[in-house]
Amino acid sequence: MSSWYTDKDNRNFSVLSTRIRLARNLGGMPFPYKMTDADREELKTKVKNAVKNSNSPLISTLKYIDMADVPDTKIKAMVERHVISPEFATFKNSAIILSEDESISIMVGEEDHIRIQVVLAGLQLENAYEIAEQVDRLLNDSLEFAYDSELGFLTECPTNLGTGLRASVMMHLPLLESTRKLNSLCENIAKIGFTVRGIYGEGSKSSASLYQISNQITLGISEKNAIDNLTLIATQLTEKEIQTEDEIDRISLEDKIFRALGILQNCRILTSAEMMNLLSLINLGLRMGIIKEDYEPVRLLIDAKPYMLMDKYGDLTPDERDVKRAEYVREHLKPTM
Amino acid sequence: MLCEKCGKYHATTHIRTVVNGVAKEQNLCDYCAAGEGLNVTPKSIFASMFGEMLELKPQNMKRCHVCNSSFNDIAKSGKAGCSECYKTFKAELLPYLKRVHGSTHHIGKTPENKDSINELKTELKRLVHEEKYEQAAVLRDKIKEMEADSRE
Ligand SMILES: [Zn+2]
Ligand SMILES: [Zn+2]
Repeated sequence: MSSWYTDKDNRNFSVLSTRIRLARNLGGMPFPYKMTDADREELKTKVKNAVKNSNSPLISTLKYIDMADVPDTKIKAMVERHVISPEFATFKNSAIILSEDESISIMVGEEDHIRIQVVLAGLQLENAYEIAEQVDRLLNDSLEFAYDSELGFLTECPTNLGTGLRASVMMHLPLLESTRKLNSLCENIAKIGFTVRGIYGEGSKSSASLYQISNQITLGISEKNAIDNLTLIATQLTEKEIQTEDEIDRISLEDKIFRALGILQNCRILTSAEMMNLLSLINLGLRMGIIKEDYEPVRLLIDAKPYMLMDKYGDLTPDERDVKRAEYVREHLKPTM
Repeated sequence: MLCEKCGKYHATTHIRTVVNGVAKEQNLCDYCAAGEGLNVTPKSIFASMFGEMLELKPQNMKRCHVCNSSFNDIAKSGKAGCSECYKTFKAELLPYLKRVHGSTHHIGKTPENKDSINELKTELKRLVHEEKYEQAAVLRDKIKEMEADSRE
């Protein structure tokens, strides 16, 4: 079993990952930001027992972890590989129920009492929702969720009311970005209730061309509708991104891609930002068949993040990390000839 | 400089995000930046927006009988104190929900709340809280009946 960033079977060079998140709360207990320590203990016990006493086949892979028992570096590494939200890492007295391959995480005591998250490789919104739905049912067998027939699932923040569902995909769109076609596409996507966020790395000019697209509203839109629409958006963006390949100067792109590979295969010091930029080119090269080797740029991108490195190699200063990162990346991008 | 997100740690990373074509620049700590990289939820921006949208209502003295939140508490934090707040302040919240979601009616999955007794118990608490003792007495008898039934 592999996590989303090591799963080669479902790998997609444009849609890097799929995420489903369901927000659920229990009645008769204040929402997390008003919870006392006693409330949080009660919540953790309730959810823990709900999983323990369930007869769902899912539970064989699930493990309960009290976050107080997890060292800081490991928590930050979990954030870096998207197992938990950055917000969750800041909450005290919380717990997580995690599947072996980390595709399922049930965060207990996040912004809502329960956040069910499923992360998969590639474009798999329907699959991911189906799994999240099973987890939802498993918990609902013994827990009663706060629900209003008019407002749907009740959540701490009113922006999550209704389905409590946030569906998102992480896309790599280097050509739509460089040809400046993305802005007008984003406007259209926003009009149908979805948000596109571009993530830039360190230094405003360095970009890995990564974009996260997710549904903006949760009330008055069904789960199926949100998922179908997002699947359609991701599919069309992928098509447009690939169409753009014909418009660019092939030889200069090849030059850039192979230079990037050359640097990654030979560097001795590699910052996070430089790595992101260069791996973005490698990913594009693989997608377009310019690079033929079986490299895994997304896996490297995650594995060589600061806390992921420290989780593996122990405490490192930022300078030491850059050296370790270069070493790690060189090892994985060895020329095959 | 402290991280603009958590305010706890030193900002080490300059991050530029583009939301629907509008660029936003932030200085973040290692910790927050790590998460920003690939895993950003739009929730946080909307959360602050929702709070800012709500106008304070000083004349509204009503409080949630479970968590004691007032409407102004919800407006200030952009968060409900508990699930019961939505019943207590539904009328006040509806216009804002309409603006955020474009709708005020849930479409989609409903939970399997087999345990309707718990729901009635919450209702009973509310009636007692509102000093509607006669109605509360009727409901209490009904709950007793249901509990007796379920034990058989
Ligand atoms: Zn921070
Ligand atoms: Zn309340």
